[in-house]
Formats: sequence, C-alpha cells, structure tokens
Amino acid sequence: MRAWLATLGVVAQMAFRNLFASRLKTIIVGGIIFFGGLLVVAGNSLLDSVVASMSRSVIGSVAGHIQVYNAKSKDTLEVMGRMMMGDPDLSQLDDFAKVRDSLLKVENVKSVVPMGISGALVTSGNTIDLALEKLRSAVNARHDAKTDAQRVEAEARVASEKGHVRQIVSVLQGDLKNAKAVLDERTIDPADGAAVNRAASDAFWQDFDKEPFEALEFLENRIASQAADADLLFLNYIGTDFQAFQKSFDRMKIVEGTTVPAGKRGFLFAKHVYEEQLKLKAARRLDQIKEGTENEGETIATDPDLKRMVRENVSQVREILLQLDAAKTVDFRAKLQRELGSQEADVGKLLAAFFQTDDQNFRERYDFFYKELAPSLELYRVRIGDVLTIKAFTRSGYVQSVNVPVYGTFEFQGLEKSTLAGALNLMDMVSFRELYGFMSGEKLAEIQALQKAAGAREVSRENAEAELFGSKAEDAPAAKAPRRIEATTTPGVAPVMRDLGESLGGKLQREEARSRVFPADEVERGVVLNAAVILKNPKKIRETIVAIEAQGKRDGLTLKAIDWQAAAGLIGQFVNVIRMVLYVAILIIFLIALVIINNALVMATLERVKEIGTLRAIGAQRRFILAMLVVESIVVGFIFGGLGAGLGVLLVSVVGKIGIPAKSDVWFFFFSGPRLYPFIGTSNIVAAFAIVLLVSAFSSFYPAWIAMRVTPRQAMQEEE
Amino acid sequence: MNKQTQRRTQRWTWAVLVATMTLNLIPGMGPARRAVAALTSAQMVELLKLVDERQKNNGDWRAAAYLEQKEKDKVDTVYETEYFRRSSDQKFMILFTKPKSSAGQGYLRIDKNLWFYDPSVGKWERRTERERIGGTNSRRSDFDESRLADEYDPSDEGDEKLGAYTAQKLMLKGKPGQDLAFPVIRIWIDKENKNVLKRQEFALSGRLLRTSYYPKWKKIYSPSKKGDTWYPEEIRFYDEVEKANQTLVMIKSVDPNSLPQNLFTKAWLESKSR
Repeated sequence: MRAWLATLGVVAQMAFRNLFASRLKTIIVGGIIFFGGLLVVAGNSLLDSVVASMSRSVIGSVAGHIQVYNAKSKDTLEVMGRMMMGDPDLSQLDDFAKVRDSLLKVENVKSVVPMGISGALVTSGNTIDLALEKLRSAVNARHDAKTDAQRVEAEARVASEKGHVRQIVSVLQGDLKNAKAVLDERTIDPADGAAVNRAASDAFWQDFDKEPFEALEFLENRIASQAADADLLFLNYIGTDFQAFQKSFDRMKIVEGTTVPAGKRGFLFAKHVYEEQLKLKAARRLDQIKEGTENEGETIATDPDLKRMVRENVSQVREILLQLDAAKTVDFRAKLQRELGSQEADVGKLLAAFFQTDDQNFRERYDFFYKELAPSLELYRVRIGDVLTIKAFTRSGYVQSVNVPVYGTFEFQGLEKSTLAGALNLMDMVSFRELYGFMSGEKLAEIQALQKAAGAREVSRENAEAELFGSKAEDAPAAKAPRRIEATTTPGVAPVMRDLGESLGGKLQREEARSRVFPADEVERGVVLNAAVILKNPKKIRETIVAIEAQGKRDGLTLKAIDWQAAAGLIGQFVNVIRMVLYVAILIIFLIALVIINNALVMATLERVKEIGTLRAIGAQRRFILAMLVVESIVVGFIFGGLGAGLGVLLVSVVGKIGIPAKSDVWFFFFSGPRLYPFIGTSNIVAAFAIVLLVSAFSSFYPAWIAMRVTPRQAMQEEE
Repeated sequence: MNKQTQRRTQRWTWAVLVATMTLNLIPGMGPARRAVAALTSAQMVELLKLVDERQKNNGDWRAAAYLEQKEKDKVDTVYETEYFRRSSDQKFMILFTKPKSSAGQGYLRIDKNLWFYDPSVGKWERRTERERIGGTNSRRSDFDESRLADEYDPSDEGDEKLGAYTAQKLMLKGKPGQDLAFPVIRIWIDKENKNVLKRQEFALSGRLLRTSYYPKWKKIYSPSKKGDTWYPEEIRFYDEVEKANQTLVMIKSVDPNSLPQNLFTKAWLESKSR
C-alpha cells in the first residue's frame, strides 16, 4: 500500500510537471473542461429551478400533483392546452363520489377535486343589440308588473333605456352622414338611412309606448343590424366543486365578489380573462399604458406599443359614445371641456383629444378618466352579479345553453400576471355537465323513439345516387327505370298539426339559475371528466400513481393516473425540450473536449517518446506509463472542471439572491411569480465532477495506449 | 377517282366518324353536340325562374320537418320542427318541438336578420345565413322558397345522367350583395319536370362543402297561388369536409293556408315557452 501511494505521488508529481511544461495546451484543454463544468452546474441548476417553480404553478393552479381520468379515453388528458384543436376526447367517469372514495383509500392521497375542462362561445350581439335587450326586458317588466310600485320602477327603467337607445341612434345617424361624405352614396342602402331617420325622430319615440313590441322589433331588425361591433368571446372553463377547489388549491384567492355558494350554479372569471377580454377597451389600454410607464420604465414617446395604444384610444372613442344617453352626454361634454379647456361641443372630438396622451399628461388624464368618466360607463361587458349565458355544442351535437350567475373573479397568488395560469375560468359542476351534454338514458330513449316514428332509412354516401335515383343509365334504360318522383295533387290538404297557440312548456332554467340549490349528493354523485389529486407527500408521485391505478382496478374503476407534468400537456413538455437542448449542448461540448484532449495528449506523447523510452529503460512498467498519462488528464479535469463548477455555484448563488425577472406573462408562469430564484442542487455538482473526470480519463486512454507501446529501443532510435 | 383512291377516302371517312363518335361519348369532349345543347344566358335564367316558380307558394306556408344528423362516433342528433314562411315579406321561422330539451328553441328571419331564440335562457341571438340549423348540416335557406334566379348568375355545364334521370347541369355564382349560405352552387335540374335533383355547394375558394340530394318531390294545391306548389319531401345532405357526417330532412304535413299576422315576431316565439 505504501509503495502504491509512493508511486502515485511520483506519478502526480510528473503529471504536474508535464502540465506546467506545456502551459498553452493545458490552458486550451482546461478552458473547454472549465466551460463544460460551468454549463453542467449552472444550466442544470437553472433548469431544476424552473421545473420546481413551474411545478408550483401547475400543481397550485389547476393540475394538482396527479390527474386521474378514465383509462378508456381516446385522447390523453391535457389540462393546460393541447397540441390538437378542440377538447380532448375523454370518456366520462360516471360517479365522482365512487372515484373519490377509491382514491382516498390510497394512503398518500390528501384530497380529490372533481373537474371537467371545456370551452364555449359567448355571443352578446352588438352595442345596440345589448341596449335593445335591456329595453325589451324593461318593457316586459312593465307589462308583467303586478303592483303600482313595480309599475313605477319598470316605467323608470323603460324611460332610462329609451334615452340610451335614442342616443345610440343619434350616433348611428352621425355615422351615416360621415359615411355619405366619404363613400359613394349609391353604396348606402337608402332604406337603411330612412330607417335610422325614423328611429331618430321625435314622432317615433312619442309613439313608442303605444305599440312598444312593434317599435322594438323595428329597432332590432332595421337599426341594430346596421351596427357591426358585435364581440365574440370564447371562454375556457373548468367545471368543479368550488369549495373543494379552493381548499385544495390554496394559492387561489377571490379578487372581487365572493366564491360560489355550495350547491349553487355560478361562474368565477379568472381575473386575467376578466381584464383582458371583458373590460372596456379604452380603459384596458389606459391600464396597460400605466403599467408600462410606471412599472416597466417605458415611455409613450419611445415605446411603439404604448404609442399604438394611445392611437387606438384616440380613434376608437365610439365604444364610449355608444354607452352615453342624453344626460351622460351633457355631463361628459361639460367635464371634458373643463379638463381640456376647450369649447368644442362634439363629445366624440373631446374624447379623442382627451385620449391624446403623452408622458407629461398621462397620469393626470388616467386619474381623471377613472374619477370622472368611468363611474358613468359600463367598464366590463359582464358585471359581477350579472347572469351570463353560455352556449356550447354538447358532446352529442346538440346546442345547449345555460344561465350562470357571475359571483366574482379569482387569481392565483404569485401568478397574477400569468396568461397561462389565468386562462381558465371556473364553473359549477351542474352547469358544466349540462353544457358538456352527457346523454341521459331518458333522452337517448326519446331520440330513438323519434327516429323510429320517422322511419327514415340510412343511405350511404357511396350508394346515394344509385339508391336515390335508380340504377345507372347504361344498366337500365331511362324509360324503364323506376321513377321515384311522385306527383300527388292534394288540393286543400288539411294536415293534423299542433294548434298554433299551444305552449311547448318546458321548465325555464333562467328562472332557477340563481335560486336553486342542488343537494350535495346530486353534485357529487354525477359525471366528471377528470379529478385532481393532492398528495400528502409530493415526493412519492410515481408510487402513488401505481397505487391509484391498482386501487381503481380493485374497486372496478378504469382509472388512468398521470403526474402534473404530463397533465400540463404542451407546457409540461416545454421543460423536457429545454432539458434536451441543454443535454445536447453539454454532450457536444464534452465530445469536442474529448477529441481535443485526446489530440493534445497524442501530440504530447509523441513529443515525449524519448522520456517514456528512458523511463521504460530504467524499469518503469507499462502500468506506470498508463497511470502517468491518465492522472495527468484527470488532474486537468479535476482542477479546471472544479473551477468551472465552482464558478457555476457562485453564479447561481449570486443570481439566486437577486432573482431573474420574468419579462413576459409566460415567464411569470414558468417562474411561478415575478422572479426566479435559482438554487444549487448537490446532485448537479456531483454530476459535473463525474462527467468531467470520466471524459478526462476516457480521452487519455488512446494516447496512453500509444505510450505503453514505446520501447527503450524506439527511444534510442529517436535520439539518433 | 380510281378504286384505290375511293377505298382510301372511304377508310378516312370511317376513321373520322369513329373518332367523332368516341369523342362524343367522353363527357365534355363533344364540341358539335355542346354547341347545339348549350343554353343561352336568357334560357338559363328562364330555367331557374321555372324552378323557382314551381316551388313558390305566393302566400303563407307551414310544414313539419324531421331533422336527423349522423356523425361518426356520436349519438344521432334528431329534431322535430315546424317551420313557417310568408312570401310577401320573406319572413321565416323554425320552431323546434322535440326532443324536450330543445322544445321552444327557434329561428326567426325578419328582413336581413336571422335570430335564434333559446327559451331555457330567454335570450335572442343574431345569426348569419351560414348558421347550421340546430347544429345539423342544414341551413335556413334549405327550408325557404327557392330564389335561385334572384340570388345567382348561372353558367351552363351541359347535360348529365343522374341514375335514371337526365339532368341539366348549371354552375351558379352568387350575385353581389346577397347574404347566401353558399356563394357557389352546382345544380342538377331534372330535364323532364324541372325539379332539382342534386346540388354541390362550394365555398368562395372553390372548396366543396356539401352535396345535397332531393330524391322525392311532392306537390300540393296552394290556395294563395291558385296552383300547385312543389316541395322536396326528402333532402339528404352529405358533408364534404367531415366526410362521415350526413343530415336527413323529411318534410311532411304541409299547410299552405294563411297564418296569423303576428306569427313572425319575437313575442310569438317567446310566448311558445311561457
């Protein structure tokens, strides 16, 4: 042992001497190893930190540690967006209570949240449609009023809504005049102009109350159709049990309003969606300009995005004008004239001048807008407390609509600015099931009965022409072919049809949207698409997945469990892609290192043939020569790799104190907040050393093999 | 002319004859026959007017329609509906009566507006002519009076055999300013009785969207027209984008008598669900 250590000492001494002797070679080889070590430690630490942060975002916002769905599903579950368009084709889990009970038998499972993810369009019509809808509702309320108090209240509503519609018509009249000025008059339908003039006349409004429904139909069909500012809103939502969701995802907090009470229908908007898609566009742009100038250090003068927003606010004042009735118009004119010191009478022009903001006047105008103008405007298309109508094509193809009261908005703490975490809204499970359209046995039987009564036969596409129009002409002469066209004259037919006055009945869901409380049993013992599982010990995800699937089998359920990263779909794969890129980069660097070290050592070996031959002549074994060269490269690897890894640790530690700022909404999600604080993983340092030493040792084998073959005779020949 | 020259001339004559006959057998390759059969623009418009005229009622119309949509891996979508129309102002309404979950829903067309009403939420929504009725592949215009001559400009594509029938094939392009479900249509009209047998409906890009067959036509005496009105008793739509999807429409219990004045109003459709 002592002899062996003494040999090692001599070998190390010689290795150091050789490294110093050829400094340039050592620095080049060492430089590459240094960079490799740095990349392994810093790159991996950074990625591990992103994965850890992202897992907090995904687990804390929607996925939980594990997602469970039906193993018979055609598609895989992806809760945060998927590669393909549309909803994934998932088979349903028929009884959530049964699934939950089965999952809770698994030791590591802490809680289970029922879910279903889908999306639907919300169409609201244009501004005039919306105003007329309110007027119609007010007229209906007046028509149905039973007490004097109700009548007086409804009358006041009708008067207010009439004023608003009148104002909109006057804006439309102005638009038409402008259009005539810039377009060829022949392209404007004179009937449209005549209809607007009629709707703007005093006579029309004086007579409105004589035949209000007739007047409304005229406005809806002839006036509203001339406005083209209808917005389509696509909402993605999770159907869930609000109480279980809030308890399991503790980063969720209600921003405005309240959560949906247990057993009630209800909808919570993600704050991000509420601000981005439902807020008055001019107000939203003002918020964004404020955010840019005050929090991100941008200026209107230099930032093209902020400039664009100012331009859009100036040119798009119409959406505000359409919200004003006569009284508000007078109020806005006075306020804006005072603020701008202008005598301009046109509110549209005053608004355009008001929105012409620069870095000097922006803050003042922003405050003025929210203090003086906003209270008279509807800042959001849907307000907290409104009933939202959501319509979707169900899984079975039927169109289904539901009314859900909007209870409030929510966001996840630390992910306020993330588009990804703020993309999904929440809906109660009962409404979700209705919109998703699970076909009940009763409905299926009704459909089959209708089909049977109709007695229709199926004709396949391939045989359609042959079956429907007789055999082909070349097979059977036209004259002999059976003619299917019947010519039955049935003068004065008296069909047995439903009486026109008969009501179709049917329970109106709109009336029970707010009031009905569904029993917990009905909510829980129903269909879900997936369930989020929160674990007691998150480190045991793999074992728990196996246990969940096994328990499902024992309970007669076909459950498929996936971890949060798989459930996150595209986003979950993003980290894997980045990791792959990093590994490829590390592989390339070390391959280059391997080749360069190998070449350098081969050159060095050839230069040292005399020395090696002499060593061999004085009794050095081949093993000694091999050890000498391997130790030489390991020393280079150890020193430079260690320096690289050390710098990596230092870098990550420093950055870990300061944090890397999230520059965009997406990075907010990946960093699970406004900054990423990277941390060092011991495994990364160990890995860096292991890789460096392995590569160094491996790259010295070939030159060592050459050196081992050097004989004393060769060395002497070299001398000659 | 000697015998050899005569034989050579005979052989050439036969060759030309055979070649001409062969070309005539290939569709679209018979210039002489096309020249004779081609319709003038006026004739085509007349033909379309005739097609429209046969289906016109010049009054009110009420009928029941059964709609069935088949889609791959889905439960069939089935509706029973009643639809109403008024020729004088082109008003139109479809009221869904079954299944229970859809009862009371309806479409109402007044002027250029197509409204959809859902009683379960009490809301009216504005739709376009491209709306798929109840999610099936049928459009509002499939239930309305034929207005081909007013809406489209025709071009001749010759005759074509369609099973046992000989059909006049026309390509129709939508006139400017018309809100149409399909801007381009190829249509097969039975040469014998001028009923539509088949339609291919295209997007403006030229992509085929739907193929429709009209295998059964019936006629009914209309008091307002004081004559017969023809209507398709069965229409089959085959989706050309989602190839597995098909829709069947069966029209029955037609009543061409006058309807109440207030029928085509939002208030009436709403009242059906009160």
